[in-house]
Amino acid sequence: MSRVPFYLKERLEALNEKVLRERLEASNLPSWERVIFTWVTLMVFWIVISTNATPENLSLGAAVTLLIALFMRDLLTKDMRRSGHVVEKILYFSLIYLPQYLVIMAFRLLESNLKVAKNVIFMDINPGIVKIKTDLHSDTGITILANSITLTPGTLTLDVKKKLGETYLYVHWIDLETLNREKAGEKIKGDIEEWLKKVFW
Amino acid sequence: MRPEVLLLLFGESIMLFGALGILRFPDVYTRLQAASKCDTGGAMSIILYLVITMDAPALVRAKFLVLAFLIAMMNPMVSHALARAAYRYGVVPKVVVDMYAWDNP
Repeated sequence: MSRVPFYLKERLEALNEKVLRERLEASNLPSWERVIFTWVTLMVFWIVISTNATPENLSLGAAVTLLIALFMRDLLTKDMRRSGHVVEKILYFSLIYLPQYLVIMAFRLLESNLKVAKNVIFMDINPGIVKIKTDLHSDTGITILANSITLTPGTLTLDVKKKLGETYLYVHWIDLETLNREKAGEKIKGDIEEWLKKVFW
Repeated sequence: MRPEVLLLLFGESIMLFGALGILRFPDVYTRLQAASKCDTGGAMSIILYLVITMDAPALVRAKFLVLAFLIAMMNPMVSHALARAAYRYGVVPKVVVDMYAWDNP
């Protein structure tokens, strides 16, 4: 693909963007499900922030968050995959996926802290910048993946580049082990990408 | 001694190692690694200690978890922005291979 002339390349990228956009539109959630998702999230945030569980406070919060959720419904849920019923999905998300992610990230963060301490004491660093490929395309998914990569041991995301329908991440790796793109991707991303692919497209 | 104090000690020692890393590592990017990871882990474990030991209603303590969530989302994002800005400005990294420079000549 690198030998494509310049004028053709731009058209090809525009076409790929269009196909991707259409697939996204086709895989979007129905609008009432998006409203319910946003409503539940905002309601939980309201209860935690106001620290007041009296009935009038709860009803006021429900009214205001429903009003907000009606016109901000695309903000949080734009990039979610369509699958299953909405109640089932909310239960799956809050009881299985989110605790799974939190446990994975907690242990990774602990490991990375200990690794930084080890690197500071012994100074056995061998840094390099490698390029890895991800299967995620949505903005939210790439953002969460890049943030998780920054918190995993020994890696820091430098830049994201979308090229011809594929997404590449440039990662600064403090202890370079391999230059092969697939092996480096497996080592850096781990099981976080598998987790993210279940929720975001 | 109560076992929660271990969380506080862990957080403080990790913060100390992060500061040492900022002083000892050779260039901007490795220093950013030390800063982002150690700040996130240390601050979150100190917040967990506060959540466990504070005598307040449960909803008030849940506010600290919102704080921990914000730290965990913001800290890597800021370090990513700083690293990218430093690269664009022309700070040369001390690395073995630099695939970012291969693709952006």
